[in-house]
Order: sequence, then structure tokens, then C-alpha cells
Amino acid sequence: MRQTGTVADVFPTPPPPPDSTPGSERPPVTLRDGELPWRPVSPALRTVRLIGVAIVFGLLLLAAVVVSLVVSGWVWLAVLGLLVVAAWTAWVVHRQVSAISWVELDEEIVIRKGRLFRTLVSVPYGRLQYVDIQSGPLARAFGIAQCEIHTASPESGGSLPGLPTEEAEALRARLAARGEAQRAGL
Amino acid sequence: MSPSDPMPQRPDISGADEEWQRLHPLSPLLRGGVVLLAILGYVAVQLVDRVLSSVQVGPGSGGSSPSDDGPLDQASAYPLIAFLAVVAFVGVVALVSWVSWRFSRFRVGGSQVELRTGVLFRQHRQVALERIQAVELGRPLLARLVGLAQVVVQSAGGADSNLTLAFLDNRRAEELRLRLLELAARTDERVPEGDAPVTEPDGVAPTQVVPGAGRTDVAPGATPAAPATPAAPGVPGARQRTVEDATPLVTVPNSRLFLATILHGSTIVLGALVLAVAGSGSFGELAFVFAGVPALLPLAFGVAVSRVRELLTNGNFSLAHTGTALRVRHGLTDLRISTVPLHRVQAVEVLQPLWWRPWGWWRVRVNVAGIHGSGEGSLETVLLPVGGIDDVLTVLVSLGARRDDPRLVQALLGPGGEPGWVGLPRQARWLDPWVWRRAGYLLAPQAVLVRRGRFTRRVAVVPYARVQSLTLIQGVLQRRLCLASTTVVSTPGPVSARLDHLSLDDAERYLDALAARARVARRAVPSSDRPPGEAAPDTPLAPGAAPLVD
Repeated sequence: MRQTGTVADVFPTPPPPPDSTPGSERPPVTLRDGELPWRPVSPALRTVRLIGVAIVFGLLLLAAVVVSLVVSGWVWLAVLGLLVVAAWTAWVVHRQVSAISWVELDEEIVIRKGRLFRTLVSVPYGRLQYVDIQSGPLARAFGIAQCEIHTASPESGGSLPGLPTEEAEALRARLAARGEAQRAGL
Repeated sequence: MSPSDPMPQRPDISGADEEWQRLHPLSPLLRGGVVLLAILGYVAVQLVDRVLSSVQVGPGSGGSSPSDDGPLDQASAYPLIAFLAVVAFVGVVALVSWVSWRFSRFRVGGSQVELRTGVLFRQHRQVALERIQAVELGRPLLARLVGLAQVVVQSAGGADSNLTLAFLDNRRAEELRLRLLELAARTDERVPEGDAPVTEPDGVAPTQVVPGAGRTDVAPGATPAAPATPAAPGVPGARQRTVEDATPLVTVPNSRLFLATILHGSTIVLGALVLAVAGSGSFGELAFVFAGVPALLPLAFGVAVSRVRELLTNGNFSLAHTGTALRVRHGLTDLRISTVPLHRVQAVEVLQPLWWRPWGWWRVRVNVAGIHGSGEGSLETVLLPVGGIDDVLTVLVSLGARRDDPRLVQALLGPGGEPGWVGLPRQARWLDPWVWRRAGYLLAPQAVLVRRGRFTRRVAVVPYARVQSLTLIQGVLQRRLCLASTTVVSTPGPVSARLDHLSLDDAERYLDALAARARVARRAVPSSDRPPGEAAPDTPLAPGAAPLVD
């Protein structure tokens, strides 16, 4: 069965510099903003991550305060430094969470993340091997979970944190169903 | 043990459903061969020591010689006990070997290969036939001496899930390998109804040899009944077997391989260092020499080990096309034959280190689903250790490209800026002053070509139908310059189709266009869940029987 016919018809043989999105009318996938219905993740993720940061820095601060009381007053400088770093980390976490967005297209799920280092990963449903849902105790307390998407390549999967638990379950079900329907041989 | 023992011992390789079979009786001994050799070596060394010391019996040494506590000294004191000990040792080894042999059985069933081993700790390993990625024949030195070989069945779960049948005699191993490949291909091919895989009695039919079939593999009219088969003239509808006698497409002379292996970054750096040390010596700075030589020795040793290993593994290299797979033979001392099913090839890379450029040599590597690019498995991923551009084209043709395609040569040799290629924008030179002109991508009809590297030239080819996922990354500096990096993710392996520092617009367009083409290509490739009869994946660079770029 000759496939060139169909393929070549859809995409003319001398490939032009990729002109918009051939064959579909949806707006293009962009690294930033864009007209697609990008969905943010739950703001509870911010709380969860900030609590995590607070615990780590709280312990460090406690240790530093104790040391400065016992040993030397100079260590108060370290405490000050820690406070600055903690504030900066909190700000970064705050920004990172608002940078996570995702969208389900007809045949792919696209996940965008990151502020300083922006990443975008586009995983076709047909390539899904399996989908994991993880949630730690803290995340469970806030009712969110992380959706972990696995393909045949360990580097290509995406993880989508901060989904409300029922949303994550629904997403997994949807992904599994679409993966079945669109599965492509390796 | 097994109720199926009364079957004739002659293994009926061609039967569809099989009884349990045993490995070769010598296999436990061979598997323990290293230990046995070590024991023998120890005994030999002791004997030599003894002989030497008895020869040089001098006036001073007489007092201490009987007090040596070596086991041989004791043995010579009590010959009977020593003899019994040796007999007991041999007996125990024989018994253990025999038990181990009795308890290791394998079977090729209707849908899987099974291996049972162990007496106390039983192990039962099975690999589904459709999960078989490759079947390799290995002949370690010791086994080769007694005419045995091992069959390694590689499956999708990485090296841990390999199933090793060690050892069988050469002929049986070869037959088994052929049969496994055939069964694996059969389950992959999704033969339509009327040609049902399991009940089909054609296993006993004589193997059909189509010499030179590999050259006609781009024939685009493969029918559903013979999905991956170049039509055998005169035998309509006959399915071609994995032809073992296929003439090699490419062979690599060992002399060329030797030179190419020596021409490696590490050896060149080492050579420069040696020259520097020697030069400083000739200027009378002997201190440098005394300091330099001991420092260089371990370095030289490491380099030598790595070069010799590469030479050993890639020696006697030849590549043949067997209709549905590529058969790679390699190994200077430990001859290995491995088979890469064509439809498992996920991505191809052609690369040329700087030092090979005067000779015009290239290397071709592939990502194969289920074979991971590190450790021992990495050997199967080299389809051409070193070869001229003609050899490269031959290999690419066997993967589905067209020899007269100008884009291939462009991709390999082009300086950048050819029509059709999308390159890096000017501002990329701040981040990548050497490559920015040459790097770029081309969206061919069936595959994407990614070209990069100015010193080491690399071209990666990923068919749209094999794209796993796509990523876009933008770092801090890249954001300033409005650039982004893209990766076409393939399965694990040596080939990476990453392209750094495209302009952001180009990168987003690239992503969209690739995603669209991958979508179409995925639909064209039938999956195991879909009804058979659609186009079967044929050649990896052109799934669906179309040439790579036409």
C-alpha cells in the first residue's frame, strides 16, 4: 500500500518553510501566551510548594538562630542571608506555579512550564505508554495530585503537577481512552 | 521432571507449539568456564612455582622448603587423599553441572519464549514473541572452541529482561535464531486472515532464499499479504524468510577500521601530549620528561583499552539486508551476529568527527526500540562503524532512502543555506559561533532531517511516524535573543535530534509542522490494536513503503 499519495497530497513535496499549521485550523502552539485555551493549574499547588519551602527554610533558620545565640553574633548575618534566599525562593515558586499551563488538543497534550527556563512538551496521545498519578501527604491534604505522563522514551514524558484530584483522575481516564484509540505502533 | 521428555531429542524447530528443550550438556561447564579456568590457572601456577623452587635448591633454602603450606605441597605429602580430593571435586562439578543442565529448559511456545533455570532458586523467564526486539547470536571464545553459541533474545524491557539461551550447538542456535526472528516478525506483521500465524504449517516449507533481495527493498508496492517483502519473482504471494545468506551490503575492511579507530580525539590529544613531552626532552628539560612519562602512562593505558575494545567489537564488520531486518556481524575475536528489525529503527544519525573528514569517513548509528544505547547493547546501534559516503548512502537506502536524493548529500556536506533548509538566525552566533550557519532542519516528505555540528558533522533523521514527542526549551540568554531549542524525542539510544537556538518563531512553526506531520504519519502506521491489512511499517525511514525523501 503506497502511502506517498496521501502524505504527499497533504504536504506538497518541496517542503516550504513550515507555513502555519497545515491541515488544521487551530491557533498555533506557542511557548508563551497564545490563543489556545491554556489551562492553569490549581492555586493550591502554590500553597503546597510554599509550605514545603517554609518547612525547609524554617528548619535552616532555626538551626542558624540557635548557632548564632550559642556561638557568635556574626552568624546573624547568615540568618539574614537565609531570609533573603527564602524570600527569593518563595517568589520564584510563586511565579513558577503561575507559569504552568496545559492544553489538550485533538491529538496531543501540551504542557508548558518554567519562567527562567521555559519548557514546552507536546506528547501525542498515541505515544502514551501509561499515566501515573502521584500525590504526597501534603498535596493530598490540599486535594491536588500530579499527573505523570510516560512514553517509550524516559526523557520525553511530561509531568503536570497541581491538578485537583478528581481532575487528575478524569485526565488520566481521558488520556488512557485517547491513547487506546490513537495508539501507534512503535 | 517434565512429562514431555519422551519426545524425540532432535529438536523440532519448525513446530508451531513446542515441547521443553534442553540446552547443550556442556553449557553449565562453559558458563562456569571462567571459574574453572581460574582454578586451573591457580594449580598451574602453583605447579610451576614448585618445579622452579625444586630446581633452585640451594644451600640456603633447604631449611624452609617443606614448611611451605601451599596446597600442592600438602598434596604431594598425601597423594591418595589428593587424588580422592581431585576425584571428588570433578565429581561435584559434574554433578552440579548435570543437575543444572537437567533443570534448565527452554521452550518456544505459541506466543512466547520461556526459560526455566535453577534448582533451589527457580527462575522462570518468558518473553512474548511480539516483544522481541532483536535476537543475537553470541560466540564467546571458550564456547567457540567447542562449537557452541548462545542465543540472546532482547526484549523491550532493557538489558534486564534479556533472555539468554547459553549454550546450544552452532547449527541449532542458528536455527533457533531464525525461527525466533521469523515468529517475532510474524506477530509483528499482523498477517491477515487466511494466513494465520500459529496454525500456518509453512514452517516446514523450505526456506526461500531470494539472493540480493535487499537491493530491491524500496519497491513501493508491498501487498498486505507480503507486507515487508520485496516481491519474489515467480513465487507470487510467497513470504520471504529472514534470509541468512543475503549478500552483505557493506563490509568494513579491518585496515580502514584500524585507522579510523586510531583517529579519535583521545588518541590525538595523547599524541600531542607525547610530542610535547618528547619536545621538552629534546630541549634538555629532562625534569619534564621524568614528570611527564609516569603521568602519561595511565592515560595512554586508558586510551589503548578503549581503542582496542572498539576495534575488537567493530572488527570484521558487515551489514546485510534480509528483507525485514538488517543483520549486523561484528567482532574481531567474539563474533556476534545481531539482527535489527527494520521497523524497530526509530532514528538514524550519520556523523563525521573532524579527524575523519580528510578521508571522507562517516559513521551511521540508529536508535532501536528496546535496545538501549549504553553498555553492551550499544553495539547493535552501529550500522556502519566507518565508511565512505557511498557506504553511508547504501545503508540509508537499505533503511528506505533514495540513493539519488540530493537532500541526503546536502544534509551531510552542505554548508548551510540550501533551499528548503531552515537555519539559525543571525543572532544565534552569540551563543553558537561555529555551528549557526550549518545547523538547521529540513522537513522532507517522510522524515525530518536535523543537521548540526561544524567540527563533528551530524545529521539526524527521524521519520515522522517515529516521533515520540516534541519539546521546546528556552533559557535566559535565549530569551534575550529570542531563540529557542527544540528536540524531537526518539526512543532511548545514541541518536538525539536536538536543534539549539532556532529563532522562536521558527521553533514554534517547526513544532507545529512536525506535530501535524507526525499526526498524519501515525495514522498511516498500523498499530497492534488496529485491524490488520493496513499499510505495514516497512522501511524505518519511510514507514508505509515510501522512500525517505523523494
